[in-house]
Amino acid sequence: MRLVLGSLLRADFLVFLQHRRALIISLMLPVFVLATTSGSKATDKFGGAEFVIGLAIAYGLLSTSLIGYALTVARDREKGVFQRLRVTPAPTWTIMTSRLAMQAVANLIIAIAVVVIGSQIHHISPSAGQYSLVLLVSILSGAVFLSIAQALVGLVRSADSVQAIARVLFAVLILLGLLGQSGALGSFWSSVARWTPVGAVMTLFAGVLNLHAWYSRDTLSLLACLGYIVVFAGIGIRWFQWDAR
Amino acid sequence: MQFEDSPYRAQALDPLGQDDPLLAMASSPDFVSELLPLPLDVLYELGIAPALRLVAAGIELRDAELDAIVAACWRAGTPVSEKVQVLRGGQARAYVVAEEREDGSLLLAPEPVPNAQRTVPASDGRAVAAAVPDVAGILQVRDLTVAYGPKRAVDAVSLEIRRGEIFGLLGPNGAGKTSTLSAIEGLVRPRSGTIVLDGIDSRRHPNQARARMGVQLQATSFQSELKIGQIVRLYAGLYGVALSGQQIVDGLRVIGLEDEARKPFKQLSGGQQQRLALFIAVVHDPALLLLDEPTAGLDPQSRRQLWGRIEHIRQEGGSILLTTHSMEEAQAVCDRVAIIDNGTLLTTETPHDLIEKHKNDPRVREVARGDVTLEDVFIGLTGSEIRD
Repeated sequence: MRLVLGSLLRADFLVFLQHRRALIISLMLPVFVLATTSGSKATDKFGGAEFVIGLAIAYGLLSTSLIGYALTVARDREKGVFQRLRVTPAPTWTIMTSRLAMQAVANLIIAIAVVVIGSQIHHISPSAGQYSLVLLVSILSGAVFLSIAQALVGLVRSADSVQAIARVLFAVLILLGLLGQSGALGSFWSSVARWTPVGAVMTLFAGVLNLHAWYSRDTLSLLACLGYIVVFAGIGIRWFQWDAR
Repeated sequence: MQFEDSPYRAQALDPLGQDDPLLAMASSPDFVSELLPLPLDVLYELGIAPALRLVAAGIELRDAELDAIVAACWRAGTPVSEKVQVLRGGQARAYVVAEEREDGSLLLAPEPVPNAQRTVPASDGRAVAAAVPDVAGILQVRDLTVAYGPKRAVDAVSLEIRRGEIFGLLGPNGAGKTSTLSAIEGLVRPRSGTIVLDGIDSRRHPNQARARMGVQLQATSFQSELKIGQIVRLYAGLYGVALSGQQIVDGLRVIGLEDEARKPFKQLSGGQQQRLALFIAVVHDPALLLLDEPTAGLDPQSRRQLWGRIEHIRQEGGSILLTTHSMEEAQAVCDRVAIIDNGTLLTTETPHDLIEKHKNDPRVREVARGDVTLEDVFIGLTGSEIRD
């Protein structure tokens, strides 16, 4: 089993290295968000520097998971890559575990990069403990977006359809996060935005970057994230088909 | 062959007539390492007599050679227990002496699977290597039914592939060939039926069964980002075979792709892709090779070359189940063929017997132009209408 999992991880890591340009592109939107909200007025609109950094990380993770992971899985499925892997003795869980592990690495890289860049731009100094918490929350948040991506490829078979839906979903979640959280759409949408996956993740990041102000809403956001993972992962696993036909 | 039953006495022997002894006898596998200059890589362990073991080392040893080893011991008067336990990669396989031939050689075959299906072998002029009734079937498929919703793609199909046999599954488009193969490969869940591969119930133990089969799918696709060498290493690892960089290059050299090791799969020509796919399918020396239309889209040269490779695999003791639309291929390569249509197996014969059996069938005579060919029989049995 070690050789099987090791071989899969090695191959997926090589693929990950090939996609490093995509990782850099995924970082562009979070950096853009950090840069455009660097003024105190703009930062305050989003509830403070911690919330802005949380929003930026959420966008980065959303981008790699929804656009990156979902599309790669859908395309590989359509090309028959999974079918070829499935006729080997490798258990199917090892195939997915290896892919998810590499995605988790990508998520961690994005989260760390955004926190480092964000703390420079917004002049905050997270402690080593906070960095550790950011890593933990990155894994959890990554799982939220990966479970959404998994649900998408579970419910939609065609790679083209996955691509189209992922882009729409990406845009909707981004707009809800930006406009909803800033209050531009009114209090109702602000509440809605707070409990979307992006909103919950963003609140959670803000919570760990400002630990002395950990409120009950942060705990509720944590529970919301766990709920999203359970529901979307359940859908994604239950309806996932290895074959696109 | 004399052997003293002492834990410190061991004897190197060379029953295969090779310069470097691949075998050694000792009262325990632990003592064999004293005899062998190479690091002991225990692949096979045979119970030759009580308290004795024959241990074969060397990664190139194959089933046919294993049979020769036991036959050599038998002829030399070494008491070979009738049932020989063979350990391959930790998996026990029981062999029995199936046949003592006139030339004194012995034919070993796996112990019959309890309640395994017995099919009647075809009477064919061509020699079918290592084919022994009752005990030699590498694959038994019984009453296999595969359905997609209300449509039965495969309907109660039964067939048996013998050891060392190339078996062709023929049928028009949508006849159920790929569905049958997919069920054997574990890609689709059959509605009913049993599939026993090398003594293993593949529906109960799919991963163990997959470890014994090599597969070339109809449309082979590997990760497009990976290079050829990386793909070989990945799939070897998935089959539990750890290959060094040099071993990968050596393997690619055999199939003429050593210069392509750093290229991605999509940059290979169709023939090169098929050669690589076949190489990967046999990287773990499978007991059964499943090839789904292996020569589709290949030019005549590539096709002939692939036939040669398939024949070579058979000569090394492999058994092969392939699907094809090419009657020329079926006639040239296959020991036996089965024709499937609308999910039902119509007939199973050698190509020669199939023609003989149906050459006077009015449906066949109607489509034949001159001497009846396998294609005439095929069209006569499955109809002339075009399938999508």
